[in-house]
Amino acid sequence: MVQIALLAAMVPLAACSWMFSPETSLPGRHPFDLGEGRALCGECHEGRIKGVGKPFASFSHSPEFVRNHRLRAARDEQVCVLCHHGSFCNDCHAGKTEIKPSVKLGNRPDRELIHRGDYVSLHMIDGKSDPTSCYRCHGRANNEKCAACHRGGGRR
Amino acid sequence: MKKNLYRLLSAVFLMALPAAALADTSVDSATIFRFSQDSRPGFQKKDFTPATQFLGADFEKLGDGNLSLHLYGWGRYDLADKSYNNDRADGALTYAYAQYRTDQANGLIRFGRFFINEGIVNEHVDGLNVRSDLPLGFGISAFGGATVHTVHMPGEITDGKGDGLVGGRLHYRYKGMLELGVSGVYESDAPALNQASNQQLAASGRFGSHRLLGGDVWLNPHRMVEIMGHSSYNAETEGVAEHSYLLNVKPLKDLVLTGEFNEYRDRDLFFSSIFFAGLLDNLNDRSRTMGGRASYELNRMVEISGDFKHFTREIGKADRFGGDIRFALLDKALRTGVGYHYLRASRNFAVAPSASGSFHEARAYAMHDTKSYFAAVDAIGYFFKENINNKSSAWEVTGSLGCRLTPALALSGDVSYGKNPQFVDDMKGLIRLTYNMNYTGKGGTK
Ligand code: HEC
Ligand code: HEC
Ligand code: HEC
Ligand code: HEC
Ligand code: HEC
Repeated sequence: MVQIALLAAMVPLAACSWMFSPETSLPGRHPFDLGEGRALCGECHEGRIKGVGKPFASFSHSPEFVRNHRLRAARDEQVCVLCHHGSFCNDCHAGKTEIKPSVKLGNRPDRELIHRGDYVSLHMIDGKSDPTSCYRCHGRANNEKCAACHRGGGRR
Repeated sequence: MKKNLYRLLSAVFLMALPAAALADTSVDSATIFRFSQDSRPGFQKKDFTPATQFLGADFEKLGDGNLSLHLYGWGRYDLADKSYNNDRADGALTYAYAQYRTDQANGLIRFGRFFINEGIVNEHVDGLNVRSDLPLGFGISAFGGATVHTVHMPGEITDGKGDGLVGGRLHYRYKGMLELGVSGVYESDAPALNQASNQQLAASGRFGSHRLLGGDVWLNPHRMVEIMGHSSYNAETEGVAEHSYLLNVKPLKDLVLTGEFNEYRDRDLFFSSIFFAGLLDNLNDRSRTMGGRASYELNRMVEISGDFKHFTREIGKADRFGGDIRFALLDKALRTGVGYHYLRASRNFAVAPSASGSFHEARAYAMHDTKSYFAAVDAIGYFFKENINNKSSAWEVTGSLGCRLTPALALSGDVSYGKNPQFVDDMKGLIRLTYNMNYTGKGGTK
């Protein structure tokens, strides 16, 4: 019920095109490619990103940013797409894929890729200590391989 | 089903060809040949040589300059024994959408197959997405369409998802200090299931339709302090599924201190996944993680970080702590790093019949990248406190060597060797051909 009420409120809101904010949009792409390695926005930017309101520094790719990028991507994806095509995200996130990111990108040990080494052994421990993190990628998608061992539902 | 997919894929890529001539185009392609052998004693010897092609293309600045087209998908063909499932060939169209952006208000219309990440909503949709900033700091994003189904669950003729969905997010921003969002997704009824065990999941209120509602927050009360997070509510189980919050403090420009807190009710969170709902027998319901991290960027060349996380579940507790040091030298051409972590886990997180789930994880890597060639070595080892399948460790060393045939085209090969509890020893090879090209429609490449 609550969702329906929320959606009913959204539709007319979206339809009112005269209600658009007058602010200029972000550019489609960053003016140049930053290349490989840590993207540290503070090297070139100060202050806040106009239209988004958040400081450039808040997007600096520190280890914390990389680990918790989900909390940013869920709010400011227009910023991510300045530099990342969807395919970049899909190396790790996919509805269906077969190659582990660390194998596909075996030439990039500096990337913070998941499941390095023999993950089949390790996942049995990681999966028990924090299954919610696995759920984000394997919950409703990308779980074809799991079925080989986890037969009916998640039981073995 | 599969045939249709390939037809769709080729049709989409054919349509894209005329666009390529006009647009700012970027193509990224990776062709990967993998080689491995399954020679476990007691099993028939098998050779696997799957060839996988990933292909992505982005055509930007079409039409009045605001229209763009984005495509990505992959296909695999097994050159020797069947490698992954019962299909010698398989593939997926990951996304394919047209997008129009407005000059003002960060307005956007997307049509086709795409991923949505809005607040607590993360979906893969065949449909329409509209977003825009509104005056007075408000903004909206709404989407609707058909769910993108994946492979069927074992014994079922469904992946467990409903066929259609709608949702969106409404946000409010105040002066670069605060952002509040409400988001939700409503998926049509979850399908009926065949397997008795799965029917039991649905009957006992552990599996059902995907309907979530949530709120998210971002706060920047002081230059050095940032707080962000979200909470989600499962409208079907009428329970809070997730609280996930993060505090960042930056006392110095290059020092980041982080604290995080997450609490999950697994029944409410896993409710719309057959696979994970079924895991609850082994895992119980409530879990909580708390952690911290400190990282420091020293003169752009050295990065030091230390982290700690505490996991609490009904079946046990665990702590993970350790640190990483990374170096980027010679103007980033030489990158190396070492890392060490220890997971101290209680008995219930162990792999049966082992008595402990604790293990050490150690890693070291180095890579060198120049205009003409690139090389990398990577070693990772997991050392178990108690043996798993009579093995005290799982380790793997990977070497990779490649050359750039042209600035856009690169050929590389990886070899990895390791020993682990799954295989006696594990040797794998891979050949990778990548092509990454940017072409500006107005002439010239960049
Ligand atoms: C090597 C320098 C450099 C780095 C690093 C860098 N940028 Fe930029 N960026 C630029 C330049 C130059 C421009 C174009 C001039 C301008 O608009 O400021 C630009 C433009 C932008 C714009 C468009 C501004 C506008 O209003 O038109 C955004 C947004 C942006 N950058 C975000 C980022 C983020 C986020 C990061 C970090 C993840 C980052 N940049 C890292 C140099 C850099
Ligand atoms: C100004 C450009 C820029 C912006 C904006 C940007 N990134 Fe990045 N990001 C990069 C670069 C450059 C890399 C490093 C790529 C590489 O090493 O190959 C990177 C890497 C990453 C990685 C992988 C890190 C790893 O080590 O594997 C993630 C995840 C990521 N970005 C997420 C995001 C998200 C989410 C956003 C939006 C909130 C975002 N990025 C915005 C430039 C950017
Ligand atoms: C290096 C691998 C990697 C890349 C590249 C990557 N991610 Fe992630 N992403 C992860 C991991 C790991 C998690 C889960 C983190 C956790 O458990 O907290 C995650 C989680 C997320 C989530 C939360 C999903 C959910 O259901 O809660 C979103 C949204 C997300 N990423 C968006 C992105 C976007 C957008 C990009 C591209 C700009 C991207 N990611 C690139 C590894 C990656
Ligand atoms: C960012 C998304 C993401 C997250 C988070 C994630 N995975 Fe994965 N995982 C993948 C991808 C992509 C693959 C490769 C696809 C495949 O093998 O089918 C994979 C593969 C695997 C494999 C097969 C590994 C192999 O060597 O064949 C296992 C097992 C696995 N994941 C378990 C887990 C567990 C357990 C967790 C949680 C602790 C988890 N995953 C979290 C994306 C993710
Ligand atoms: C080679 C067989 C195999 C594959 C493939 C496999 N698993 Fe597992 N998994 C296991 C075993 C065995 C355990 C339990 C170990 C124990 O309890 O002793 C387990 C445990 C887990 C757990 C911990 C919860 C529990 O039931 O104990 C999670 C979560 C999990 N697996 C997720 C995945 C995901 C996600 C995938 C696919 C990406 C996957 N698994 C693929 C064999 C496998």
